[in-house]
Amino acid sequence: MKRYSAFAVAREGLRYHSGWDRAWRAAAPKRHYDVIIVGAGGHGLATAYYLGKNFGITNVAVIEKGWLGGGNTGRNTTIIRSNYLQDPSAAIYEKARSLYEGLSQDFNYNVMFSPRGVIMLAQTEHEVRGYKRTAHANALQGVATEWIEPARVKELVPIINLDGPRYPVLGGLWQERGGTARHDAVAWGYARACSDMGMDIIQQCEVTGVRTENGRVIGVETTKGAIDCDKLGMVVAGNCSVLSQMAGFRLPVESVALQALVSEPIKPCMDVVVMANTVHGYMSQSDKGEMVIGGGTDGYNNYTQRGSFHHIEETVRALVETFPMVSRLKMLRQWGGIVDVTGDRSPLISKTPVQNCFVNAGWGTGGFKAIPGSGWAMAELMATGHSPLAEAFSMTRFKEGRFIDESVAAGVAH
Amino acid sequence: MLILECPYCGVHAEETELQAGGEAHLKRFGPGSSDEAFHDYLFLRENPRGVHLERWRHVNGCGKWFHAARCTQTLEVFGTYRAQTSAPPQDIRDKITAKRPGWTWREFEG
Amino acid sequence: MSDAVSALNGAEFNGLAKVVETGLGGMITLRGDLASDRIKAAVKAATGTEVPATRRIAIGAAGAAAWMSPDELLLMVEYDRVGAVVAKLGEDLAGAHHMAVNVSDARACFAVSGPAAREVIAKVAPVDLAPGQFEAGDFRRTRFAQVAGAFWLDEAGVFHIVCFRSVAAYMFNLLSTAAHPHAKVGVYA
Repeated sequence: MKRYSAFAVAREGLRYHSGWDRAWRAAAPKRHYDVIIVGAGGHGLATAYYLGKNFGITNVAVIEKGWLGGGNTGRNTTIIRSNYLQDPSAAIYEKARSLYEGLSQDFNYNVMFSPRGVIMLAQTEHEVRGYKRTAHANALQGVATEWIEPARVKELVPIINLDGPRYPVLGGLWQERGGTARHDAVAWGYARACSDMGMDIIQQCEVTGVRTENGRVIGVETTKGAIDCDKLGMVVAGNCSVLSQMAGFRLPVESVALQALVSEPIKPCMDVVVMANTVHGYMSQSDKGEMVIGGGTDGYNNYTQRGSFHHIEETVRALVETFPMVSRLKMLRQWGGIVDVTGDRSPLISKTPVQNCFVNAGWGTGGFKAIPGSGWAMAELMATGHSPLAEAFSMTRFKEGRFIDESVAAGVAH
Repeated sequence: MLILECPYCGVHAEETELQAGGEAHLKRFGPGSSDEAFHDYLFLRENPRGVHLERWRHVNGCGKWFHAARCTQTLEVFGTYRAQTSAPPQDIRDKITAKRPGWTWREFEG
Repeated sequence: MSDAVSALNGAEFNGLAKVVETGLGGMITLRGDLASDRIKAAVKAATGTEVPATRRIAIGAAGAAAWMSPDELLLMVEYDRVGAVVAKLGEDLAGAHHMAVNVSDARACFAVSGPAAREVIAKVAPVDLAPGQFEAGDFRRTRFAQVAGAFWLDEAGVFHIVCFRSVAAYMFNLLSTAAHPHAKVGVYA
């Protein structure tokens, strides 16, 4: 594969850009792979990538029923942060954040990682106490965050309204090295690197069954025929219940719709990410100038990638309170994705009751930021049977009472 | 916008008048049951792509809990029925069967 | 004893419709088997009306009875009579499974009148208010923007709203905003 460089851009500029390779090969399934990953989203592709890079396992297929990065990877609001309260969460999200920093160099592909800083606003006394506690916890975990006072919030975000009608801004939890990345580019970069290692990325190939023998996975049935494998990784977010059912076990998740929207593009007005969890609105400005806005989840199971309109109203209401200037903005697009939510709102990176079958799911409303760390841990778990990063995220934690209660620590926007 | 008919007051309520209450017809397992059953009761919920039976409450209305039979893949509503039952009534099953022949949900089927 | 006052002291707004806080109203929550003869008789004695049909309000000489849910009515009588009526209900229904509670001071009442009254309500409640769909004597529990409330339409074309006293100011501001002279939609015009 040709490397991307300034020289290559100049060269192709002189010959009508006719010399670029496809970023990844279109592949037909082989009869057998060492590892099959179901789901070519960020987490699935990252798992495949680190299997190859860290463990030399390259006889890998990543199969996808739709198109690459077309699920939640292409539908999120691209926020990257690691300011979590609980140790296992802080560890994996910080691993992910630090991998994001070097991802573009790693891939030779620009994922547009922008460590512009993330503020989580504290708008009640409880949040103030909660975030101060998180800042202390982060200091112990080696995650660089700090508590900042309202004046500093205003300095970082001039367009903010500190004394809103319902909830004043009392301060914030500031993570300077948090930020955003181009979500599609993350999937494309991983796909290109996987393909370059000889892995097959097979799109429009839906898994219709999981074949097991004596409690051990031996392959999958797909719309492109049966494929054998030694190990299977299920990394399909909202559809993980459907897939686990095929393998004969159940996952402690429910699938709900989460929405996001973007405004018309405007001139640069906010160069950090702001999350307001009490009123539930979060917003950043993309390089195109659009304000990228995250909404809420519905309270009921839903596979339609379409949420209810009143959540948009609630989100926009929260934002108008927090940023009065957005009240005149027109919204350009709105969409939804299906997120799988566990009882403690923390993910599953786990062995399953079926031998050699692994699951990576339950990222709920905050999976994008975890992609590199999640893939790193999942690859380690699949290759060696043990991963320190993934250990706490086993699906047996519910039976053992070892919840990772970030829903309490992080509030809604997780 | 999801619209469910409350079987108690007859209102065709849109979802802002309602509150979702999760999986229907749960069997409770408490002290005395096995760890396995207690775990499943607490943490495992039906999450089907298709026919689903749920509890809802007409919270901004008559206040009553009721049941709904719904498709999670299309948001189609097959019908709603009263709370005082531990299984979907026959007319609801028939309505689901008319649209989704061969459906199954937990221990129930068309 | 101190003088009872309503939440907003009769606040008033004139716009597309007239919004008035109507002052103290006597209100009793009555729960029980609405189909039983004893409840029917007790309601008749208290308000002079029959037990209303589902989602209806029955208005009589001595008060009104509104259908809240399959086992609950809201009885409305003069504020000063509530104590006596609750006591009488207790006597009339002694031995029958029931509950009668004076909730007058937990509530605030509003009236919305004028040609755009229908539109003002429709703006803030998820209810089909098209003429023919909601008529005099209909009663509905719902939400008004972000708070719970109930309302009915009387024969004079006035909408009456009942909500919790704690959100009275919100309700008044909400209705006044919806009735702002510059906020006409004209959907039922």
